[in-house]
Amino acid sequence: MQTIRARPAGPAPRAVRDPLVAGLVVLCLVAAAALLAAPPTPYLVNALGQLAAFAILAVSLDLVWGYLGILSLGHGLFFAIGGYVCAMHLLAHGASVTGVLPDFVQFMGWKTLPTYWAGLDLAAYAFVLALALAGLVAFVFGLASFRSRVNGVYFSIISQALVYVAMLLMYRNDTGLGGNNGMTGFPLLFGWPMGSPRVGTGLAVAALLTLAAVLAGTRLLVGGAVGRRMLACRDDEIRLRTLGYSTTRLKLGIWCLSAMIAALAGILYVPQVGIINPRVLAPDLSIEIAVWVAVGGLGRLGGAVIGAVLVNGLKFWLSAAMPEAWPFILSGLVLLVVLVLPNGLLDLAALRPRPIWLRRGR
Amino acid sequence: MSALVVDALTVAFGRFTALDAVSLAVDQGEVRAVIGPNGAGKTTLLDVISGITKPVSGRVMLGDSIDLTKCSEAEIARAGVRRKFQKPSVFPALTVRENIEMGCGPALKARARVARVAAVLDEISLAPRAAVQAGALAHGEKQWLEIGMVLAAEPALLLLDEPVAGLSDAETAQTAALIRDLRRPDRAILVIEHDMAFVEAIADRVTVLHEGRTLYEGSMQGARGDARVIEVFLGR
Amino acid sequence: MPAFAAPLDRAILAGALCGDGAAQVGAAEGLVRAGGDLPADDLAYAGRLLGALVERRLACLPDGALLLAGQNAPEGQDAVTDARRPAAEARAPVLGLRQRAAVETARGVVALLTEGTPAARAAGLAVLERRITIVPAAVLDRARDAESDAALKGTIASLAEAAALSSPDPVRRRAAIAAVAASPSGAAAARLDALKSDPAYRADPAFRVALDAGLAQVRRAVAIGDGLAIVYNGLSFASILFMAAAGLAIIFGLMGVINLAQGEFIMLGAYTTYGVQEAFRRFVPGLLDLYLVAAVPVAFLAVALVGIGVEALVLRHLYRRPLMSLLATWAVSLFLVNLVRVTVGTQNLQFSMPAYVSGGVPVYADFVMTWNRLFAIGFAVATLFLTLLILRRTPLGLDIRAVTQNRDMAACLGLPTRRIDRLAFGLGSGLAGLAGVALCPIYSVNPGMGSGFIVDSFMVVVLGGVGSLIGTLVAAVAVGGANVLIEPISGAVAAKVIVLVGIILFLQRRPKGLFAVRRRR
Repeated sequence: MQTIRARPAGPAPRAVRDPLVAGLVVLCLVAAAALLAAPPTPYLVNALGQLAAFAILAVSLDLVWGYLGILSLGHGLFFAIGGYVCAMHLLAHGASVTGVLPDFVQFMGWKTLPTYWAGLDLAAYAFVLALALAGLVAFVFGLASFRSRVNGVYFSIISQALVYVAMLLMYRNDTGLGGNNGMTGFPLLFGWPMGSPRVGTGLAVAALLTLAAVLAGTRLLVGGAVGRRMLACRDDEIRLRTLGYSTTRLKLGIWCLSAMIAALAGILYVPQVGIINPRVLAPDLSIEIAVWVAVGGLGRLGGAVIGAVLVNGLKFWLSAAMPEAWPFILSGLVLLVVLVLPNGLLDLAALRPRPIWLRRGR
Repeated sequence: MSALVVDALTVAFGRFTALDAVSLAVDQGEVRAVIGPNGAGKTTLLDVISGITKPVSGRVMLGDSIDLTKCSEAEIARAGVRRKFQKPSVFPALTVRENIEMGCGPALKARARVARVAAVLDEISLAPRAAVQAGALAHGEKQWLEIGMVLAAEPALLLLDEPVAGLSDAETAQTAALIRDLRRPDRAILVIEHDMAFVEAIADRVTVLHEGRTLYEGSMQGARGDARVIEVFLGR
Repeated sequence: MPAFAAPLDRAILAGALCGDGAAQVGAAEGLVRAGGDLPADDLAYAGRLLGALVERRLACLPDGALLLAGQNAPEGQDAVTDARRPAAEARAPVLGLRQRAAVETARGVVALLTEGTPAARAAGLAVLERRITIVPAAVLDRARDAESDAALKGTIASLAEAAALSSPDPVRRRAAIAAVAASPSGAAAARLDALKSDPAYRADPAFRVALDAGLAQVRRAVAIGDGLAIVYNGLSFASILFMAAAGLAIIFGLMGVINLAQGEFIMLGAYTTYGVQEAFRRFVPGLLDLYLVAAVPVAFLAVALVGIGVEALVLRHLYRRPLMSLLATWAVSLFLVNLVRVTVGTQNLQFSMPAYVSGGVPVYADFVMTWNRLFAIGFAVATLFLTLLILRRTPLGLDIRAVTQNRDMAACLGLPTRRIDRLAFGLGSGLAGLAGVALCPIYSVNPGMGSGFIVDSFMVVVLGGVGSLIGTLVAAVAVGGANVLIEPISGAVAAKVIVLVGIILFLQRRPKGLFAVRRRR
């Protein structure tokens, strides 16, 4: 939020002025260029790429939570949709090049890939399918919820039930998606062997560039007229409706967009870790996304990125260094942020004064 | 002719009947005040007209053709109905100017909007504060800003829910003057208020609600002389 | 072939056993046939003779038979007169395979009817089981009626039934079918169904009619019994859901906060119960069976205190930010799970099961009313009434309802809303602790148990509506019942999917749930 000062009349000023986001976009571009010019160790490249994917996921949640007041505790579902479709593509692509069926297909005793896998070896089709599927699921669920004015905590726990049910569904072996073990052992990416450093660098660069694009795009969105409507809807939905705006359409549109961005993060994430299984659908993981956003600073896109990088960086480090202590540190961090730093760690940096009205309603 | 006709409107919440076959008609150009003790159903009446609450039975006709009970809040607003809430409802994260722009509604073209916003800012005397975020305004300023937001759409029917609640005497007088200014031949205004002096100053006619029913309809002088009205409301 | 009748002619029996192979078989089979009618001392005598024959201690003389003390003993007792006689001229017959089988069967009959210990009688029964077709019904009936050991009695009865079902006598078979049909169960249906492949089913119309009728009767009864079992399981699942959700609903109605740590509060209730059990084991082992009862107030108070602590330390600051309170209570749940994990361990806790929560009573067909589930149901009903009593008849309940309906007005009337919030949070948490107690005899208790059904109880709160205990009850029965009803048809996962979709569709019509308390905006 901007400090209070007089401004000459003119179009709304909030539009494109967010130095944090601008800085992060530049940082992403610089990092991508650096990776291409002088790639560091594969571990570091991979970590950087994963963090970028998580940051995209956090931005997608901040878009609906921070700007529309809709807390989804089921965003892992959309992330998983992107991830699963991506994994299907990688396996189908591998099978079409090498002629060897994926392990789980052999395990189930099937002779061919299930029919709904048809065409998934085409990357473009898989990409469109992933986004469309995430958008469709979000649309159906969002329409049912927003139309009947399900909101607030109700919406949150129903979205949690959604991801929970999806998890139970994916644990079944007969879905044709690997069941309990999920899908792994991806041989090729666009014909390149998966393990090569070149592919690793390419994936990380792609994730960083996507993050930059997502940040820039969402910033443009929330800085413009739509963004003002989102804030208005977040703070007083009935007021906005009685001014003649269809909030259902607004919420539905942003909700679907957010789901597709989350799917994008899933698409980028899966080839970097080389596996997807139903555990990404665990309700705890979806709550953790909200934790990233809250830690970084709700309602600021840059905050979501910082929170995702910080919490996941800590997790990479601490869950290996002291696995017993990590859950305690995480819960302590959440309580600290929720109770003491209502606007997240950005409060610490004191980048901006904290407006009083941000303390309520969320 | 009538701008708004409420016809045998009944609203129930569970076993509690908030409005019981209430009827009233507001003419074009009229300022109507609805008064009554707490729980009489005044705010419920506004909720139904603005589409927030759906009735059990009855109709609310805007002009000749639109039954508001069949419309969503947004459709009602687009048909030219605007409501000022009892609690000042502005968007705290937006500036005063942006709030008024929102008030213009989604349909107005950008160029027309600039002019309209400027005019409204002048009208509510908040032009110097145009770039301030609404969350930082004082209570009285928020009331005025909300009035500006509902005016920005040039509504044909204006609903005001206790517009002077919590205002000082000077601000109340100022608001009464503003409402008299707002009166136009093509606009009906429906005001809910407790402040009798204020109602007397602005209203052409009053409707007295009591326990969900219409107790009296007519001039303010008549209301003061009506025995039943005195018993349930004025006499206390 | 001699036919034996009471009293047994000992000379004939001894003579037959000393005869050729055919005579031996005849005597043994005659004993089997007559076994049901012979007096116990005759049977015991026959048993001694048969035992001696098998062990080659039966020496045959031209004018009788001798029982020897051991093989090749120089003298023995006359089998009929008991007089001691030399065995020098005697011949001890060797049993052929066929004879040995017949004799063993006859010994089995004797053992089953005369042996003193259940183990020995069971051994006799095991011998009979191999040649059950030649064992007459009278033997088994007599053994069953006389049997004192309950388990063995059951085994004999089912064997008798099986024997009757495969009996060559059509009348006996039909009677057996009717008898099986009279006490229906899934196992009975399977046994009768197996008879359809019997040749008699095609050949004998009377048998076919009897079998079809019996089978239909059993299947109908089994279906009813299974239905009752589903209702019963649904009720017990609903009871657990209700107890888990009641606290959630009260807290949500009052403060707009969904406590994501409610599952962990249930877990704490179960661990408190375990603590009470261990305390009993240590200090008053004689009263161990009462620990579940004693755990009720302890778990309620302990978890209520934890809840009040969480409210005071965390939630108090978050009433205006309900979405943040979701994250905060999630952090609390993460903390509690890992605290228990680190301090107590991840393994399932072992509970001693008092008589009142173990076993059950067979009610109808396969439906057994198990005491542990009845305990949960009774517990939930008691909780419901107590909670209703608190909400409707106590000053605290009145305050809670007032604040739920209109917080500002309640505050204006001078109600201490802060204190009411805290007490209500304690009440809601304590209810979760009670759910933990009720769960101990049914589910496995470990640090992660809370997450198992917490989503279901959220759905109950959403479906039931805010601030109405009756709504919570109806919703718990609906969700629990739907889960249990759909599960046998299309699986547990499909049940969860259908319930969730059903709730979302239901919210299209009633966004505020079944029973919403109307509140001012």
